[in-house]
Amino acid sequence: MLALDISGLEMRFPGLDTPVLSLPRLHLPAGRQLAVTGASGSGKSTLVNAITGLETATSGSVSWGETNISALPTGRRDAFRATHIGLVMQDFHLFSGLSAFENVMLPARLSRRLTPAARERALHLLETTGIARPHQNIETLSRGEMQRVAVARALLSKPGVIVADEPTASLDRRTGEDVSELIVRLARQEGATLVVVTHDLALMERLDRRIALDGGRIVEDSAEVRAA
Amino acid sequence: MIRFILADLNRFKAGAFAVVILIALSVALSVTVTLQERAVRLGSARAAEKFDLLVGAAGSETQLALSAEFLQPSPLPLMSGRVLAKLSVDPRVDFAAPVGFGDYADGHPVVGTTSKLIAALSPALAQGAAFASLGDAVIGADVPKRIGAEIKPMHGGAEEGGHTHTEIVYTVTGRMAPTGTAWDRAILVPIRAVWQLHGMSSYDAHDHGDETHGSVEPEGHEHKAHVSVDAAIDEHFDVETPGIPAVLVKPKTIADAYRLRQEYRGEATLAVFPAEVLTRLYATLGDARGLLLAIAIGTQIIVIAAVLLVTIMHVSARQRQIGALRAFGAPRRAVVAIVWGELFLLFLAGFAAGLVIGYGTAHLISATLTATIAIRMPVEFAREDLSLAFWFVGLAVLVSILPALSTLRLSPARALRS
Ligand SMILES: Nc1ncnc2c1ncn2[C@@H]1O[C@H](COP(=O)(O)OP(=O)(O)OP(=O)(O)O)[C@@H](O)[C@H]1O
Ligand SMILES: [Mg+2]
Repeated sequence: MLALDISGLEMRFPGLDTPVLSLPRLHLPAGRQLAVTGASGSGKSTLVNAITGLETATSGSVSWGETNISALPTGRRDAFRATHIGLVMQDFHLFSGLSAFENVMLPARLSRRLTPAARERALHLLETTGIARPHQNIETLSRGEMQRVAVARALLSKPGVIVADEPTASLDRRTGEDVSELIVRLARQEGATLVVVTHDLALMERLDRRIALDGGRIVEDSAEVRAA
Repeated sequence: MIRFILADLNRFKAGAFAVVILIALSVALSVTVTLQERAVRLGSARAAEKFDLLVGAAGSETQLALSAEFLQPSPLPLMSGRVLAKLSVDPRVDFAAPVGFGDYADGHPVVGTTSKLIAALSPALAQGAAFASLGDAVIGADVPKRIGAEIKPMHGGAEEGGHTHTEIVYTVTGRMAPTGTAWDRAILVPIRAVWQLHGMSSYDAHDHGDETHGSVEPEGHEHKAHVSVDAAIDEHFDVETPGIPAVLVKPKTIADAYRLRQEYRGEATLAVFPAEVLTRLYATLGDARGLLLAIAIGTQIIVIAAVLLVTIMHVSARQRQIGALRAFGAPRRAVVAIVWGELFLLFLAGFAAGLVIGYGTAHLISATLTATIAIRMPVEFAREDLSLAFWFVGLAVLVSILPALSTLRLSPARALRS
């Protein structure tokens, strides 16, 4: 369980005059849940990349708990993400040719964090996410099942944070609702801080707080509305 | 890791297969050239080992060596039979055996010689006995005839329009053990039978001085000689001995060999060490090998360049997958290892397949050569091949590491967007 602290964060890309993302300050207490919305191109994915360390901040800092990840070198940042942040993406990014179980285990296996306990946990997570046959080849799963496997993979290393970028956008409404419910429930159970980019109103409603982005800036924040 | 690499290769089966085949063929080319050159060299050196010195009429050394060692039909001039008479009684000579060519039976050369040569080629016969009378014949290990079979010699190969000798029919009395030389395909008969068959009783240097007819053959074809097949063989040669194309000589010592060669190098005769002639031929062969190998290495470079291109394209096509691996917690070294491992595995597979294909091809070529000229050409790897193999593996490591390192510069965020 980690708290998010952003200060003076700017993300710029070469060839663009204005920053794609500009967040003077954002604080999310540990264990809380944040929904991020906004039109296409408003900078939501850029925010996800910044807080997961997939992209380096142009300026400013992003901290999870005591760790300022924008100050870490690439290798250490990758390692931090691997151990503390569980990622769920819109298009699952599962690896074909492997089974559901192997997909869940792959990141741990490749970074040699493989333990018998991790195997147990992988099987347990697949059970919780409702995958009946963990050794089924990944290509033969339904899309809803694929996203569940991705959720199980995100949770394997017991991360303090779960970040999801439009996790239900490529699923139909019913399946999407199931997956939303699963993510929120598991984040609570595991006591992880949760950041979800979504357009899904039902999903937003399950979360504590909602911010809306436009042109890379926060134009609406449910926490401030409540405070006002 | 391995599991992931295999699953990944499985997804790109066709491409991976094509790359492996490409590498395999280029490796096979070098392997075949190297092995085949060695096989020819070793095979002919072993064939030349049997005799130390060849004496023939003045002419081409190479022709003399090739005809007498490999029994290749080529027109050899005749020399005086006195040479054989002299060599036979020379104390420095272990044995001296005449060889008379020109006749064939079913494509096998019929060579007139003495029982001493048979004893030298095959100290113990595989079957039967050496010849005792003029109508007897001893066959090489590869001649498909049974003991007791009849042999009707033809003058010249059938394809050269030769005629059959009706005067004589040889009977097979023995078979030599395999020697791995051209003699395995030969039919050995008493030299005196050959002389009689061709109507030669004695050699007259004045009449035959510049004849290069290719065989023991008197002027014209007007011989109606009679050969008494039951007559006992006579292997004592005096000054009356008819002309012969070559004498195989086994000197007693190395010093004797050099002295004899010196002595028989003159106006009328020629003496050569077959090994020496072969060495000269190998120099030419070596040049050819150098050229072929250069071509083979050239194709390898082209293949490697093509493979490099394919893999760099492959890596950029896989950006998404590689970005995802990084995003979901695989360290960069793992990603590098995966890409590198995949490529290296393809190289190794291609290399192994190339070795097998090359080895097989060399065997096939050797077998074909052996079938035609009867010289066993051993296809074998040698120590020096190791350095070639190390070169290849080293190059493979280097070439496959390049695309792998290119993944280091990949931004996972950008890779995921694409
Ligand atoms: N590497 C980059 N180089 C240049 N421009 C970029 C780069 N990455 C993102 N952008 C720009 O930044 C802006 C925000 O992109 P981002 O992906 O964060 O939008 P988003 O809110 O996630 O949109 P969507 O809802 O469609 O996913 C876009 O205008 C995009 O073109
Ligand atoms: Mg986006």
